Amino acid sequence: MGPLITQGIIDPAWNNVLAVLLGMAFGFVLESAGFSSSRKLAGVFYGYDFVVLKVFFTAAITASIGLLYFSYLGWMDLSKIFVNPTVIQSGIVGGLIMGLGFIMGGFCPGTSLCGAAIGKIDAMFFAGGMFVGIFLFAEAYPLYENFYNATDLGPLKVNEVLGVSAEVFILLLTLVAVAAFYVTSLIEKRVDKVDY
Amino acid sequence: MATKEIQDRSRTYLNPYAAGIWLGLVLLMTFYITGRGLGASGSIKTAVASTVNTIAPKHAQQSHYLSQFITADENPMNNWLTFEVIGVLAGALISGALAGRLKLKVEHSPNITSQRRLVFATLGGLAFGIGSQFGRGCTSGAALSGMASLAAGGFIAMLSIFGAAYAFAYFFRKNWI
Amino acid sequence: MKEELFVSGRAIPNIDPYLNIWHWSIPVYLFLGGLAAGLLFFAGLYSILGKEKEMPTTVKWATFLAPAALVIGLLCLFIDLKHKLYFWQLYTTIRLQSPMSWGAWVLMLITPLSFLWAGSYVRELKPSWKWTFPLLNKVEVWVAAHRKGLAWAMVILSVILGIYTGILLSAFNARPLWNTSLLGPLFLVSGLSSGVATILWMSKNHAERVLLSKIDLILIGIELFLIIHLFMGFLASNAVQVEAAQLFLGGEFTVFFWVFVVILGLVFPAILEILELRGIKIPVVIPALMVLIGGLIFRFIMVEAGQITRYLY
Repeated sequence: MGPLITQGIIDPAWNNVLAVLLGMAFGFVLESAGFSSSRKLAGVFYGYDFVVLKVFFTAAITASIGLLYFSYLGWMDLSKIFVNPTVIQSGIVGGLIMGLGFIMGGFCPGTSLCGAAIGKIDAMFFAGGMFVGIFLFAEAYPLYENFYNATDLGPLKVNEVLGVSAEVFILLLTLVAVAAFYVTSLIEKRVDKVDY
Repeated sequence: MATKEIQDRSRTYLNPYAAGIWLGLVLLMTFYITGRGLGASGSIKTAVASTVNTIAPKHAQQSHYLSQFITADENPMNNWLTFEVIGVLAGALISGALAGRLKLKVEHSPNITSQRRLVFATLGGLAFGIGSQFGRGCTSGAALSGMASLAAGGFIAMLSIFGAAYAFAYFFRKNWI
Repeated sequence: MKEELFVSGRAIPNIDPYLNIWHWSIPVYLFLGGLAAGLLFFAGLYSILGKEKEMPTTVKWATFLAPAALVIGLLCLFIDLKHKLYFWQLYTTIRLQSPMSWGAWVLMLITPLSFLWAGSYVRELKPSWKWTFPLLNKVEVWVAAHRKGLAWAMVILSVILGIYTGILLSAFNARPLWNTSLLGPLFLVSGLSSGVATILWMSKNHAERVLLSKIDLILIGIELFLIIHLFMGFLASNAVQVEAAQLFLGGEFTVFFWVFVVILGLVFPAILEILELRGIKIPVVIPALMVLIGGLIFRFIMVEAGQITRYLY
């Protein structure tokens, strides 16, 4: 019954070893999909390359459907999974700033690591910028400490908030995703190709 | 010749839907094995905490934010995300090598100079660094893994990141197209 | 010489129950000794096989690092000594049953040999070179004339040196983790692999790099085989050695060993080298550096973990 490490089926000492292997798979897939290229990543915002949307949605749906199946088959105890805490104000502000960072830098932390690994200097600068950014955040923390911790609603699940069961929510999400894929394929046909 | 073949392959990427499924499976495995999703910004955060702790331990102790991540007995870097990041670098290297994409360069639109690209990359990183701390995660950790575990926080992060990026896209269009 | 007397057999500081006397200088010396052994072995081997022209870096240029590695290694050993002023006593006797005596004499022979070998190629590197002492010109001519004999001596001595770095630990049977005969060959193979990685890094000749990559892959394969059998041996042995193996299979050294030594120091560079052999270009510094760092961390871990294991209570 999973998760394997928290339930003690695998010794927790191996956790970090597995982290390297899982990370290798993560990095490999991201890079093969082209996420090491900032111009490809930024394409979703200008309509010339929707790879981010396709990969993101597909991955989220695959993983969430997989989790539900594992739970249904008795392989996984879903209550033991880490669910991100819902911190509304700080989360939204963080998301807005991150969005700005995404469109300026063309990377996100994980993809900047992939880019840096294959030699993209702009990815390395992005990672360096992140380092400094986090440091600045920590320095100025007392200014917004209260804001940072406000409205922490705890690990809420989105289907609980909307009042539907998890299965129904994922079904709706899948339908939205399929519609999005269709729409983006139409947009891609009309937008000029960018050569990168 | 072998080198000519490789040059032609550097633009070939995996089909996005296939890549999405693979990524979803990796994420699923990570949840199944560790009970948590993947992440990236967290490792840079512990790197900052470690560095500050090494260079100026008292300052790190006093910092309300960083002191949370520095415990007396364990090196903050000895942490799941740090090892995952080592793996990410290694895996991306292999994938890039197989496709012939290993090249030290600054990737930028032909309409701008590479200096401008580097400036914006750094500014973008700075913003992402600050934003990821407010949001308690980045697109990999909060958005992707959050969405997979159906966390409301994950969806909020996803929507605000992409919403903001779309809103600001018009102002930075010169850099990309 | 001040002697220390211990009255009690238990709880002796720094010795019982956990040994705490060998610090950083020993793993560094073990690494440098293995590296020098690897460099000199292949230099001698390919010189005997007459491949000086096809493998110039192996036979000539890489050996310039060997004297430096040996001298720094000896310095580390010296730093580790408690009664430093008496180090010369090691050279007043040859004790066949003492690994330290073997080591001292092998080093005493191979260090000047490495200087002679590297020195004989200086003129090829820089044709206008002038020795300070005229005697050295005669020495240079002598070395060139007796190269084959010297190459044989180098091959034999470097193998002894490589194995001895492992025997130095495994002769200390009182530490269960070191009480295995596999450490000698394991450290030899690891040293040879470090040497090959260094030569690979330095080489500018494509055919040489291909051959060295293949050799390195074989050595990494042997090293993984030996590591697996090391642990199989421990787990099939007495309870104390099972406990010693558990340090690496769920204990405090699990992550560092499997991630930094096995995955990042052996398997990942091997994958990169296989890709390189298939024509996919990878900057050679990456696998080479990872093998070297993996070897260094391996020795640090073996020295530290070994001192923690003990037979009593």
